[in-house]
Amino acid sequence: MSPSPTVPRPALRHETVLLAVVVLEWLCFHALGPRFGTLENSFDLLRHSAEIGLLALAMTPVILTGGIDLSVGSLLGLCAVLFGKLWRDAGLDPAAAAGCTLVLGALAGGLNATLIAGLRLPPLIVTLGTYSLFRGLAEAITRGADTFTNFPSAFLFLGQERWLGLPTQAWLFAAVAIAVWLLVHRTTFGRACRAQGFAPEGARYAGLPAGRQLAAVYVLSGTIAALAAVIYTARLGQARADAGTGYELLAITAVVLGGTSIFGGRGSVHGTLLGVAALAILNNGLVHARQPREVAGLLTGALLLLALAAGTGPKLWAARRARATPPPSP
Amino acid sequence: MSAPLLELRRLTKSFGGARALRGVDFDLRAGEVHALLGENGAGKSTLIRIVTGAHRPDGGTITVDGRPAGPLDPRTAQRLGIACIYQQPALFPDLSIAENLALRLETGGPLRRLDWPARHRRATTLLARVGAPLDPRREVRDLSMPEQQLVEIACALGAGARIVIMDEPTAALTQTEQTRLHGVVRELRAQGTGVIYITHRLEEIFALADRVTVLRDGESVGTRPAAGLTEPELIRLMVGREVAQPYPPAEHPPGDAVLRVRGLGRRDAGVRDVSFDLHAGEILGLAGLVGAGRTELARILFGLTPADAGTIELRGRIVRPRSPREAVQLGFAYVPEDRRRHGVILDLPLAHNASLASHRRLFPGGWLRPAAERRLAEDFIRDLGIRCGGPFAPAGSLSGGNQQKVALARWLATGPQVLLLDEPTQGVDIGAKAEIHRLIRGLAGQGLAVLLISSDLPEVIGMSDRIGVMRGGTLTTLLPGGAAPDAVMAAALGRATEAAR
Repeated sequence: MSPSPTVPRPALRHETVLLAVVVLEWLCFHALGPRFGTLENSFDLLRHSAEIGLLALAMTPVILTGGIDLSVGSLLGLCAVLFGKLWRDAGLDPAAAAGCTLVLGALAGGLNATLIAGLRLPPLIVTLGTYSLFRGLAEAITRGADTFTNFPSAFLFLGQERWLGLPTQAWLFAAVAIAVWLLVHRTTFGRACRAQGFAPEGARYAGLPAGRQLAAVYVLSGTIAALAAVIYTARLGQARADAGTGYELLAITAVVLGGTSIFGGRGSVHGTLLGVAALAILNNGLVHARQPREVAGLLTGALLLLALAAGTGPKLWAARRARATPPPSP
Repeated sequence: MSAPLLELRRLTKSFGGARALRGVDFDLRAGEVHALLGENGAGKSTLIRIVTGAHRPDGGTITVDGRPAGPLDPRTAQRLGIACIYQQPALFPDLSIAENLALRLETGGPLRRLDWPARHRRATTLLARVGAPLDPRREVRDLSMPEQQLVEIACALGAGARIVIMDEPTAALTQTEQTRLHGVVRELRAQGTGVIYITHRLEEIFALADRVTVLRDGESVGTRPAAGLTEPELIRLMVGREVAQPYPPAEHPPGDAVLRVRGLGRRDAGVRDVSFDLHAGEILGLAGLVGAGRTELARILFGLTPADAGTIELRGRIVRPRSPREAVQLGFAYVPEDRRRHGVILDLPLAHNASLASHRRLFPGGWLRPAAERRLAEDFIRDLGIRCGGPFAPAGSLSGGNQQKVALARWLATGPQVLLLDEPTQGVDIGAKAEIHRLIRGLAGQGLAVLLISSDLPEVIGMSDRIGVMRGGTLTTLLPGGAAPDAVMAAALGRATEAAR
């Protein structure tokens, strides 16, 4: 008989801990800021987290494959500008312009996919390149100055009004969240992403379509970045080349905070959603608690590092304790 | 007789609830080779780790040179002259041999003056002692695996080791390299060093060991002089039961040719002009030295490195697998040599590993069906006798033999026509090995065509209906099953002289 290796089960799942953090945050800010807990503010929270939430949702399968997509923030800016251009200069109505923008977002994701899956270049370098490229294109199109405004109110309904009692974009966000959750947790696609993240060679040896798989996650990421761009434009009522600056890092922060391993393989979409919630509540709550904006960045960093330490700390501790077993009796 | 070099009394050690050692006695004398035997999980590794100071025992005593040594830590173990040579040498590939030796052996501050001539002289002397006339300036990355092992041994000698532990040193070596290593071990013995030798290859024990200690389930089932022991006795000690028929016989004669390979090759893989037929229900063994092109041939058939010459005909149809995915769809299955990197995905649960190559068949439409997946895993756990903590235990938590069964299960789930097995029992304990042999024979009995690559000569001879021998990238000889080992070896070496040995 071989002793079955004992796999130490964590006492609490990462997602459970994070849920407690989110609830705690909520209670804290509720006590600190009188307006924080109002329905109106909750809707505000939803509106403000939808775009980064969408990027984080799309980032989850990317990171599960062991990759990264740094270009999504820039692509959001490019797509916002393209959307404005299609509507104002090409004369498309907003719905058609949005449709075209999604296709363009998919194409931009396809560029990442071709370089990463086709030419086998490292995702970090490829998307670092397209990060600059997409932003540069956005600025070239607007010559750094052009801003698209005066969208029809029917379009602004998407970003500023309510439908069936909730902010309109919350419905879209929920639909994408459910779709990505199903994709990651209930389909062979999600399983193959994980296999690839754990062991890229192992996935190839199992006959999985590793290249197609990889290409698909980056195309999906580009498409969802375009969707986020449309929602962003509808929320602010304007499209500018600097839209979404820094969003890629916030999205990655949310994903990692949600327990997805940056090395690939391990992670969940509900974890990502909790990560998004934790960040959004922190930022919004601090404003209501009348704290300077800088505190938000500081606390976000602290929260992320704490979450990472909470993930590995107990394991290290247990290992150290195991090593320090009492010496044998003589 | 003087006090033994090393004496262990009533050693115990538990991990969590699992008792790895239950009071083991062991002693090592100066100038002897003491083989340590046992199935995977019998406690060999734990014992070694206690002696090298990596683990602390829960109870028992350790005596070195007749003096109680207390619980060892790695530094104390080294000071007492204990060294361990692992299967995979742990050298720095970018440094020269002399630098690697100096790193372990030289003392002094980081700003001391380096005496390069002395460094090289010392390295040359140590290498000569292990019979390896290598240039100490060569980088370790350019050395073969056995040469690296010799550098490790030289290092142990330089550190004044009198107790040398060798953990499966020959697992990845060819027959000739193995013979050379045995020479070095005998030399160490002659110099008065005590050697603890761990191996799964029984023939090595008879060739090398003075005494044998067999561990089973964390207990020593006895220490015997190697002379006078027979192979069946040893196997019985290890597994606690008689293994009557080491290799299962063929039940049916092979059927029609499933696979016809003609003139197959790939220039940059060093494979050229390979031709053979593989029949339904047949096990075709592939013997040869490491580097003869056997794994490369399997990789061509499986589409990992597509062929650039020749044809593959599967059931009368010419096929050209250009990726593993295409090969799988055609009906090829490949259990690769490197189980931990390629064969299974260690972080995925057993069930997910088992279904990984059959997604399209098991999950039509791409939706996972957890119930079907669980049933698949449970069927394989039962049919293949996989010992595990349930269908959702991570593959990495299983022993080597059970991981290999999971790798096999993954391919059986695809319903393949041709099964390519690359070193299927490497690093697998003897009980699991016999089970895997029975499984392979059973699969052939069901009509599967099996190509069995193995460097284990008794295995490839015992299992195969025909034996193909590869040398220099091509298939040179086809021998009938049960051919004399000498004949297979001679063909692999391409020399008649070596066979006479």
